[in-house]
Amino acid sequence: MVFHDVLIIGGGLAGLRAAIEASKNGLNVAVISKVYPVRSHSVAAQGGINAALKSNDNWEDHAYDTVKGSDYLGDQDAIEIMCKEAPEDIRELERMGAVFSRDADGDIAQRPFGGAGFPRTCYLADRTGHGLLHLMFEQIRKYEVTVYPEWFVTDLIVEDNIARGAIALEMLTGRFHRLHAGALIMATGGYGRVFGITTNALTNTGDGMGLALRAGAPLMDMEFVQFHPTTLKRTGILITEAARGEGGYLLNSKGERFMKSYAPNAMELASRDVVSRAEQTEINEGRDINGCVYLDLRHLGREKILERLPQIRDISISFAGVDPIEEPIPIRPGMHYSMGGIMTDKDGKTPVEGLFAAGESACVSVHGANRLGGNSLLETIVFGRRAGQSVTEYCSGSKVAAFPKSALQDATRKAAMIFERDAGVKSSELLERVNSAMMECCGVFRTEEKMKEGLDRVRAVREDLPKVTLTDKGNVFNMELAGVYELEHIVDLAESILLGAIHRKESRGSHTRLEYPKRDDKDWMKHTLIYKDGPEMRIDHKDVTVTRFEPKERKY
Amino acid sequence: MSLKFAYYPGCASKEITRESSDTTLKVAPLLDIELKEMPKANCCGAGLLKDYDYKLHLAMNARIFAEAEGMGLDIMTICSTCLMVMSTANSELKNDEKLLAETNELLGEAGLTYKGTIDIKHFLWVVMKEVGAEKLKGLVKRPLKGIRLASFYGCHTLRPSSVLGFDDPLNPTSMEEITAALGAESVDYDGRTKCCGFQADLVTEEVALAMTAKRLLSAKDSGAHSVVTPCPFCHINLDSYQSKAERVAGRKIDIPVLHFTQALGIALGLSSKDMGLDRHMVPLQDLLDSI
Amino acid sequence: MEITVKVKRCNPQGNADCKPSWQSYDIKAEVGMSVLEVLLDVIAGVDPSLVCRRSCRSAICGSCAMKINGRPLLACDTQIIEEYEKAGRIELEPLDNHRVIKDLAVFQEPPWDEFDKIIPYLNEKDKDVAMTAEDEHAIDASQKCIMCGSCNSVCNALEMEKNYLGPAALAKAWRFVGDVREGKKEKRLDRLSQEHGIWDCVRCVHCTEYCPKDVAPLSAIERLRDKAMAYGIDDNHGAKHSTAMVDSIRRVGRLDEAAMTFKTLGLLRSIGMIPFGMKMEMHGKMPHPVVLPAIDGIDEVRKIMDKREEEKKKEELD
Ligand SMILES: Cc1cc2nc3c(=O)[nH]c(=O)nc-3n(C[C@H](O)[C@H](O)[C@H](O)COP(=O)(O)OP(=O)(O)OC[C@H]3O[C@@H](n4cnc5c(N)ncnc54)[C@H](O)[C@@H]3O)c2cc1C
Ligand code: SF4
Ligand code: SF4
Ligand code: FES
Repeated sequence: MVFHDVLIIGGGLAGLRAAIEASKNGLNVAVISKVYPVRSHSVAAQGGINAALKSNDNWEDHAYDTVKGSDYLGDQDAIEIMCKEAPEDIRELERMGAVFSRDADGDIAQRPFGGAGFPRTCYLADRTGHGLLHLMFEQIRKYEVTVYPEWFVTDLIVEDNIARGAIALEMLTGRFHRLHAGALIMATGGYGRVFGITTNALTNTGDGMGLALRAGAPLMDMEFVQFHPTTLKRTGILITEAARGEGGYLLNSKGERFMKSYAPNAMELASRDVVSRAEQTEINEGRDINGCVYLDLRHLGREKILERLPQIRDISISFAGVDPIEEPIPIRPGMHYSMGGIMTDKDGKTPVEGLFAAGESACVSVHGANRLGGNSLLETIVFGRRAGQSVTEYCSGSKVAAFPKSALQDATRKAAMIFERDAGVKSSELLERVNSAMMECCGVFRTEEKMKEGLDRVRAVREDLPKVTLTDKGNVFNMELAGVYELEHIVDLAESILLGAIHRKESRGSHTRLEYPKRDDKDWMKHTLIYKDGPEMRIDHKDVTVTRFEPKERKY
Repeated sequence: MSLKFAYYPGCASKEITRESSDTTLKVAPLLDIELKEMPKANCCGAGLLKDYDYKLHLAMNARIFAEAEGMGLDIMTICSTCLMVMSTANSELKNDEKLLAETNELLGEAGLTYKGTIDIKHFLWVVMKEVGAEKLKGLVKRPLKGIRLASFYGCHTLRPSSVLGFDDPLNPTSMEEITAALGAESVDYDGRTKCCGFQADLVTEEVALAMTAKRLLSAKDSGAHSVVTPCPFCHINLDSYQSKAERVAGRKIDIPVLHFTQALGIALGLSSKDMGLDRHMVPLQDLLDSI
Repeated sequence: MEITVKVKRCNPQGNADCKPSWQSYDIKAEVGMSVLEVLLDVIAGVDPSLVCRRSCRSAICGSCAMKINGRPLLACDTQIIEEYEKAGRIELEPLDNHRVIKDLAVFQEPPWDEFDKIIPYLNEKDKDVAMTAEDEHAIDASQKCIMCGSCNSVCNALEMEKNYLGPAALAKAWRFVGDVREGKKEKRLDRLSQEHGIWDCVRCVHCTEYCPKDVAPLSAIERLRDKAMAYGIDDNHGAKHSTAMVDSIRRVGRLDEAAMTFKTLGLLRSIGMIPFGMKMEMHGKMPHPVVLPAIDGIDEVRKIMDKREEEKKKEELD
């Protein structure tokens, strides 16, 4: 059986950064990823990565902006670490070969981003994630990290609360493999596909969170789901904030700049949660255009659009069939980022021994109730590195636990069962049911009644899971089979989001409840934990760590 | 209407495939095209110079352009490689002031400057766009009736389309439209827009010849009586090296290859001698007899 | 709008000579829909066994390159109605020059294996070198590559020679050789100049034409060749061929085919060409084997070349 000191599940930025660190420390490291690592969702990040680099900026300000952005739910000790270590991480990326856009003085250029008091977002044109992910992929070649590309992890092997490895389906052959490991790092990214409309890649099904949950690790703050105000109608493809930064208007069906009734000062440039709420109100109250509002750039003029927003123009033309020079772009709020995830400490440790997590699949928590743009790429790098470091310490200090003999058999038996079923439902139908339930019941505005309805609908899907059948009965590249495993996680995550959201009786950051419109620091300055250690999920709490910034009202 | 160009046949068409240029000089007046020789013009470098030294490549090309600019004329060439090399260099110079200035510094050494005012066109393009199929039809004396032609475009006639762009790089039609105007039929075949192998002749000869054979065979197997190409380098591989390609393919191919200019010449009534048809390695007599 | 989408399907299940067959799906397309979206609809609603790779849906992850109506395109970046109106059909096939895994998914050896061969990471110099905007610009295009394989699928050299590194890997190679911070340029160029490296390219311009990200791999290859020769790595047919061209231009201002053959292939192989040369001679196809007259104004040419050589001497190699 193959053995690796560390098996990293996920080949996005967080996973690869962790791999580099662990490999530098002399461990035998493997990365397993259901897509070729450079196809991971990190590649799509456009805007940039935050760090207080300039002499007139400082990490404390970055930390303050982050804490405030998080609506005071972020753990301040973790946030301090992230902001303090950011500049050195950026410089290290540069030494590895990262290319950043430069300003006139030859320094790394930095652009302003929402919620930040200083332009501290470093970028490579509008393909920062692409540049960094390809860089990480180069580096794992340098450190000779083993890669299992297009291997799909179906099970984590954890016994007696100790992680021992994983079972994975090799897409090319359809064979299941045992991967014995001294430690595991989950870096599987977000769960955007729980929702029908999302900016996330098709692969973002939250597998790692689902796997960890089943293995006994708690998920934290799952109710906090970021909705981005400007995503394309049918596909949810992102139009970056820069469109509004350059002066774009948001219009309703009457042609009004409706933001004047919601944020008369900041208008279109209010924070993401505020703008998304405003749009959703317009849509709910019937001032929509086929379920959308308009992002209008026409008044900026052809020249400015071509010069400053070429990418946005390309995206609109390619993916919405609309040239923003001629027509307004129909947009609506779309699911964008999962603030919640596998609970970890500052070093990526989870309560399961030998199980670590980093990146969007983890919840440290640095984003609290609302993430700032540019902080999540930073999180993947800082906490990916730290997880790689702490896994090294773990490996040197503990014995390798045995891999249970029956695990592989259990996995293949399960797959065989799915293959054998004849009459039943297609997994795509069930997925559609979860997606619409989540869109309708757990979107920008939430009510007890709707969320309970959502929970019922999701649980009804769970009932139907054992009826899923396959059209494709072949072994080679059976994406339909992989889709069944993804669906199981999607159902688990949908339920945990709903449970957390029903439970939290306040409005904070991205979580807006019509019955409880105010933030409630007295009762809810605490994280929500979801466990699935029995047949039912259960909820628990953890205090928020406050070091230097006492909660106060959030005004922009 | 009379069209007037600075004529840049390219080195190949001045020597190895001289018949192509000879034909052009006879065909052009019949189409009301006036061609002015460029006695000073140097070789465009065929891309090899660009491999050696990018800046020198720009300077040598700019020297050609400066001569045409001095004549107040755009350039017309009958070589696709020259077309591609010169057009990309010209476009880079026109769109980058700094590059143009650096290049002019080198040209200055010889007392020359290039202001960036000329364009470069292929004969095929001029016939297609500026003479037009209609006018051409009216001039045909000897229609290519019953002849099936396999148009072999040559890479550098079509790509990069962002610079050349007068025909679709994947589904070009200009050659077919013109040969149709001349009375011929066209065949579709796999190698139509692919590479003849020329650039690898002296580097990886076996690969080049295998490529040549593959293209020729796909033309032959599609039932064509002859290949016709607007590029002299393609002609060298497809015609002059056909026997070598046959050896690599282990199969007789035996398909004649016309220069584009000769297809025009035949239809417009030029004699075999005018067009240097005896200079071809693959005999053309059967083809001519069948017209 | 109703459109029939034809997909070339193949499920080898390990059997190499599986015969592909065309399958048609009648679909409804809305304005703005990409080919990928339509495929996803087909997969979700009609035929979950149809396979195509996909992830980002926004033309950046490189998963979904396929042949659409005969040319390589990203399915997620191709508007189906537009394409249909242009071509009158929608036919989807796996990329050429790649072995098929299933349906539209192909093996990814190119570019990954080739990628490893070019040492795909920066070898830092001993001292820290700061990058300027201009330095960034020099490698910007080659950095845009999303490893979609489109260029390799249309590469004429790769079609004939499977061992060729191919345009994607070479574009990546330039990303390092062109980087001011790279410390092992010469070593890299030396390796790249060996068999099946930069000199295998036949300059068909297909890669540059069809790259969805404007990487222009051919330009990267030309730059690599230029740099390799600047380092004096010229003991190969490709470099000799180029150098012979330069000599020829210096001497007579134009291409001297006979002299170039001699200089590129050396005495022995050139002699090997004599019987063939004689055949060409009979057809008047051997150009002035001894003296080709120089063009008018050859002095100008030489002056420019001298000046450039001087300049080059001052340009630092690192
Ligand atoms: C459109 C868009 C733009 C963004 N722009 C920015 C930005 O400008 N700045 C910023 O800071 N953040 C941005 N973000 C957020 C940021 O990109 C992500 O949070 C971050 O990239 C996540 O990285 P990751 O490494 O955690 O996960 P990912 O990059 O998502 O990688 C997940 C990995 O896990 C693997 N995996 C998943 N499941 C399995 C399984 N079952 N078996 C095997 N492997 C598996 C996948 O193959 C993949 O390799 C953006 C997000 C979106 C959607
Ligand atoms: S130009 Fe060279 S690398 Fe590009 S496709 Fe043609 S042969 Fe391949
Ligand atoms: S160079 Fe272009 S076509 Fe080739 S792999 Fe990269 S992005 Fe794709
Ligand atoms: S799906 Fe990512 S490039 Fe098309």
